[in-house]
Amino acid sequence: MNPAVPSWWGVGASVLLVALTVALVVREQLGLTREVLVACARAIVQLVVVGALLGVLFDSAGLPGALAWVVAMVVVGGGVAGRRGAGVPGAQGIATIAIAAGTAVTLGLLVAAQVIDDHPRVLVPVGGMVVSAATRGTSVALLRMAEEAVTGRRQVEARLALGLPGAAAFAPHRRSALRAALVTDVDAVRTVGLISLPGAMTGLLLAGVDPLTAIRYQVVVMWMILAAVTVAAGVAGRLAVARLFDSAQRLLATDGS
Amino acid sequence: MLALEDVTVVRGGTTVLDTVSAAFPAGRCTAVAGPSGAGKSTLLRLLDRLLEPTSGRVLFHDRPLPSYDVLDLRRRVGLVQQAPVVLEATVLADLRVGRPELSPDEATELLSRAGLDVALDRSTADLSGGEAQRLCLARALAVGPEVLLLDEPTSALDAVAAQAVERVVSALVADGLSAVLVSHDLRQARRLADDVVVLDRGRVIETGPAAESRYLKGAS
Repeated sequence: MNPAVPSWWGVGASVLLVALTVALVVREQLGLTREVLVACARAIVQLVVVGALLGVLFDSAGLPGALAWVVAMVVVGGGVAGRRGAGVPGAQGIATIAIAAGTAVTLGLLVAAQVIDDHPRVLVPVGGMVVSAATRGTSVALLRMAEEAVTGRRQVEARLALGLPGAAAFAPHRRSALRAALVTDVDAVRTVGLISLPGAMTGLLLAGVDPLTAIRYQVVVMWMILAAVTVAAGVAGRLAVARLFDSAQRLLATDGS
Repeated sequence: MLALEDVTVVRGGTTVLDTVSAAFPAGRCTAVAGPSGAGKSTLLRLLDRLLEPTSGRVLFHDRPLPSYDVLDLRRRVGLVQQAPVVLEATVLADLRVGRPELSPDEATELLSRAGLDVALDRSTADLSGGEAQRLCLARALAVGPEVLLLDEPTSALDAVAAQAVERVVSALVADGLSAVLVSHDLRQARRLADDVVVLDRGRVIETGPAAESRYLKGAS
């Protein structure tokens, strides 16, 4: 067994950390005791279930099983990002399509160029990283698009009044939403290794892989995350613009007024 | 040139305009006056098709607005909003929003029509409120509209800046441009307008020459 992986006894002992957290929460009267306990209990149950499912998936479900898993993640991500951008009409559908596009392009390229293996043991965790990056990008993009549709209405209507079509009138606002969606991940790339060791690399180091080998994986993961965020946020932005205007090129009221 | 025929607008259960009929003839400045909440700005938005009537028709050259390509229509019917909305970082870039091919010479000419003496590379962030509003006027003129819709164009400005904008509007109308001026400032309406349409709670209560308007006389 890999010495870096804690035993079940060790996991049990780590509950002490939960106890420490709860003790501090109680002492500071944060009113979060119940939430912390429920979250920790949920996390254990969720992880045990996921671990068991992944075991079955890796051993016997093959490529179709792995793809089904990725699709399920896309649907869940679409739900999360869609709620975030609720101010945009049809946000749920837009988010799901955007995340699916970001995931398909990124994973597809990696597999087609044989950068990664198409084995479930690779596709599922890598797919998870891609879907969560695409979800993050889509969430921010849609949230900002919805905000811009309210706060930028005067500017948008000033451009419409000059005879610009809706998509062109909204373009500066869409760009600002996309910048917001990308900036966190660009910053993460800029500071990688300096502020924190990224997850994939940490995992490989813990598993005993040589550091210079581990960074190869990390480099791919970073480009992959950037691409997934950019494609997903870009698709979400374009689709959202189309839904924000009617056929007479009018910005729809999205704030309930 | 622009006209409303039995136009009703209901928004959120409230009747904002109630069977309004009015004409805005070519080559004249028509003021839309009335107390706040009378439906003046709603009427203006109808004329640029930024809003659709619940019932009734809006006509441009005797044809209903939906029969025009909406982008073409909005180029022919210009709109200047209440508070100045500057869109780009420099004066020239702002003038080019609706007409990207605008040459520096044409831009200078537009600025002078709008009574604005600023450099083309001047940062729009440094403009005063009155200068910004005249830039918005010049930007609206850049696409070559036949009629200008002015939504309380001086209400966000101080008295001096308001006067400067008023002089420009009055010169443009004297040059033959048609204008529809929404204003709650009755004196301004009297100074600028040839005709007036007075609204109260969504209904037309008076139309006719501004000089003979009983409503506008209340201003003196």
